[in-house]
Amino acid sequence: MAEGVVIDTTFWGTRQSGVAALERELTRLRRAQSAHARELGRPIARASVLNLIVYADREEHARRAARSIADLALRHPSRAIVVLADRGARDGTQKRIEMHCRLPIADGARLVCYEQILVRARGDADDRLASAVIPLLVPDLPVFLWWTGTPPLGSRSFGDLLRLTDRLVVDSADFARPEATLPVIARISDEARGRFGLTDLNWTRLTPWREIATAFFDVPAWRLFLDGVTGVSVGFAVDMDGRDIHPSQALLFVGWLASRLGWRPLEALAPSEAGGLLFAIARPDGARIMVRVRPRFERGLDEGDVSGIRIKATAARQLAEFAVKRQPDPRHQTATVLLDGERRWERTMPLPSPAIVELIGEELSILGSDRTYEAALGALVELA
Amino acid sequence: MNARAVLATAPEIRANPLREESVTLKAADPCTFVVFGASGDLTHRKLIPALFRLSKQKLLHPQTAIVGFARREWTNEQFREEMKHAVESAGASPSEWERFAGALFYQSGVFEDHAAFRALGQLLSKVEEERGVPGNRIFHFATPPSEYATLVRNIGAAGLARRALRDDHAVPWSRVIIEKPFGRDLQSARELNALVHTVFAERQVYRIDHYLGKETVQNILVMRFSNGIFEPIWNRQYVDHVQITVAETIGVEERAGYYEQAGAMRDIVQNHLLQLLALVSMEPPAAFDDKAVRDEKVKVMRALRRIAGEDLSMNAVRGQYTRGFIEGTPVPGYREEPGVAADSRTDTYVALKLWVDNWRWEGIPFYVRTGKRLPKQSTEIAIQFRAAPHQLFSRDALAGLEPNALVLRIQPDEGISLRFGAKVPVQGIRIRAVNMDFDYGASFMVDAPDAYETLILDALRGDATLFTRHDEVDQQWAFVDPIIKGWASSDSAEGPALYEAGTWGPTEADALIERDGRKWRKA
Repeated sequence: MAEGVVIDTTFWGTRQSGVAALERELTRLRRAQSAHARELGRPIARASVLNLIVYADREEHARRAARSIADLALRHPSRAIVVLADRGARDGTQKRIEMHCRLPIADGARLVCYEQILVRARGDADDRLASAVIPLLVPDLPVFLWWTGTPPLGSRSFGDLLRLTDRLVVDSADFARPEATLPVIARISDEARGRFGLTDLNWTRLTPWREIATAFFDVPAWRLFLDGVTGVSVGFAVDMDGRDIHPSQALLFVGWLASRLGWRPLEALAPSEAGGLLFAIARPDGARIMVRVRPRFERGLDEGDVSGIRIKATAARQLAEFAVKRQPDPRHQTATVLLDGERRWERTMPLPSPAIVELIGEELSILGSDRTYEAALGALVELA
Repeated sequence: MNARAVLATAPEIRANPLREESVTLKAADPCTFVVFGASGDLTHRKLIPALFRLSKQKLLHPQTAIVGFARREWTNEQFREEMKHAVESAGASPSEWERFAGALFYQSGVFEDHAAFRALGQLLSKVEEERGVPGNRIFHFATPPSEYATLVRNIGAAGLARRALRDDHAVPWSRVIIEKPFGRDLQSARELNALVHTVFAERQVYRIDHYLGKETVQNILVMRFSNGIFEPIWNRQYVDHVQITVAETIGVEERAGYYEQAGAMRDIVQNHLLQLLALVSMEPPAAFDDKAVRDEKVKVMRALRRIAGEDLSMNAVRGQYTRGFIEGTPVPGYREEPGVAADSRTDTYVALKLWVDNWRWEGIPFYVRTGKRLPKQSTEIAIQFRAAPHQLFSRDALAGLEPNALVLRIQPDEGISLRFGAKVPVQGIRIRAVNMDFDYGASFMVDAPDAYETLILDALRGDATLFTRHDEVDQQWAFVDPIIKGWASSDSAEGPALYEAGTWGPTEADALIERDGRKWRKA
């Protein structure tokens, strides 16, 4: 296996001997397509609204990403540059960069085509990877960098690519050690200010939870409780044997609350039962809030997805509990408000669970940075 | 009236009435095309393939002869054999090659040797007689620039060329095609020019800058002056600034000997870059002919503000590449290249901020940059327009918006694109810059002719519009000279800023444009 994965040329297209050859091949393919389309009386557009660089270090991830992009091509026709860093190739493998390209038809009607390029680095090509990607970018169009896996701060190619990027897309659900990685992301976000936007697909997944938590306090009578929170508990899904713990999404929820409500760290994050976390933070008035983040085994959920939230608070000598729970189906969630133990309000509503394609499609339509996310991340790092 | 009387009273040359307004090109006259430096790289790579393709397309007159002259002791047959390799890439069928090869001749000789030029003269007469060429001759200097003076002197001494008098249409004609660089500073260019003018009149001189032969460069004029919508906004009222980029991925290759003396300033800025600048900033000429077009170019070059003295450090940055990666392959630094001094201060990158001091462009900066070992090969001109005067939309909505830009891509991926803001198709308002693209390759379905093909044909047809006139060269050097001198005088202080191969030049160049609150484009 010293040669690494064999590249499937029917999927990735034929191998080209360099950037110039690759651009010629794409021109040839475009020309062939336009000629064909003209015969059918249907003009074909070379549409491109963005450059999307996808970084993956496994072929299977690269392929999955490429398929997602294909699904997005109608909404976001792009030049997609999939970078496959084949680090698995043994030491001594000659450092080498190969390129393949193809012009898949995005839709049956043959109206729009997009350009798919594979840049495959063999051996440890960290020092030279960016030099192969930069010349492939379509001038003038925004550059999105979708980094699958944990972004390696300090890696040369990551830094080089980041310098060209208008928006960095990560998925903290993939982070192996979120407590170590999220601060790194926060640091990138700090440095990014004004230069590029940062987004986390996991944050987008959290949106319906944030919305419903916000909706509780649209009721003026309940808004008081925001100043009197005493405890927060967030559950997240793990698999049956509880081996892989991915609490990022749950942690972001806590970070978000803290950033919006001005909570400050009190006691550092400490591990608790079965991979969960228990810690204390301080309200602006100094009172103590106990925060619990705990793993739950629930069928039908992706690991790391939030399974439920519970906020306890006191105000005007009343004890309130605001809870949101996923239904077992798990496409719905139920929101409940208890006042002094008495159920005052309950509603069940659909809980969207968007696929990666939809998440990324949404992110590609935004260029600016998400200040709320940055603040949540910042608060989280302080807590940790 | 007898025939003799008709001849006597007829205008000297009457244009062929069937050709007038004809859709086909004016045919090239039969002539002898003499290539000096016939064993060299340029002849192999560019000239012979271009001549061959012209012959294939029947754009060369069938009587045309091509005579090579170089030091190598080749026979006609050996020369033909060598040139056969050169045209392989042009797709030569045996019959096409046979026809073309029959027109190739060779004379060996040293450029300093008068006898060799006399022998060349005899060969030319012999070939002309055999093939029925009326004595039209075109001399192409495909040699190092250091040989130009010798060549001119010896062509003159051997009486190979016929100096044109007032009559433009004199037959037979002689012309000379001279490669860039023409001189190495203002003074040497003037001296060379004076020398050339002892043998050839200015209208016989075709100074080649192959950029001008590129289809997309010619298209700059077509786009500007055949459309009604661009010219009205092509001025300081609407334009924020202009950026011109000439980026190469190649290093110095085998040309270290030349490049060490030239640097990016003489190699690219003095000719290609200033030509692009002139075409994009010039006033509309009254006609598309060699005089009108070149008059306007000279006029705008005169308006180009000179950079000298204290302005130098604020308006000019030079760089030199160090080792790095190009397309994933490691490449050496400039000082490690063979033939380059270990402490060389030659500029392989230049960025300038220029001003065209005239009514149209007052106060509008032109940022230009060129370099070797940049991440991608790209030549383009970008006209960046002013932002909309009043913004209706929220800051968040505008996050993805960039100012309108019209980009003329010269190479590769020839075309034109216009960038404007569009609403992203979601609920609410989000604005994103999008590109409207015109792609030569996909629109016309043919490859544009090679620049040399275009230019050689123009020279054969006597059209000098796309060649550089002596006063243009003068102006170019007059602009470039003070910068080169300024750098030379500060040599002891600081050399060129270093940049890693495969990056977009030194950080000093970023500072040059960022000081004004602008950014280099992502080319």
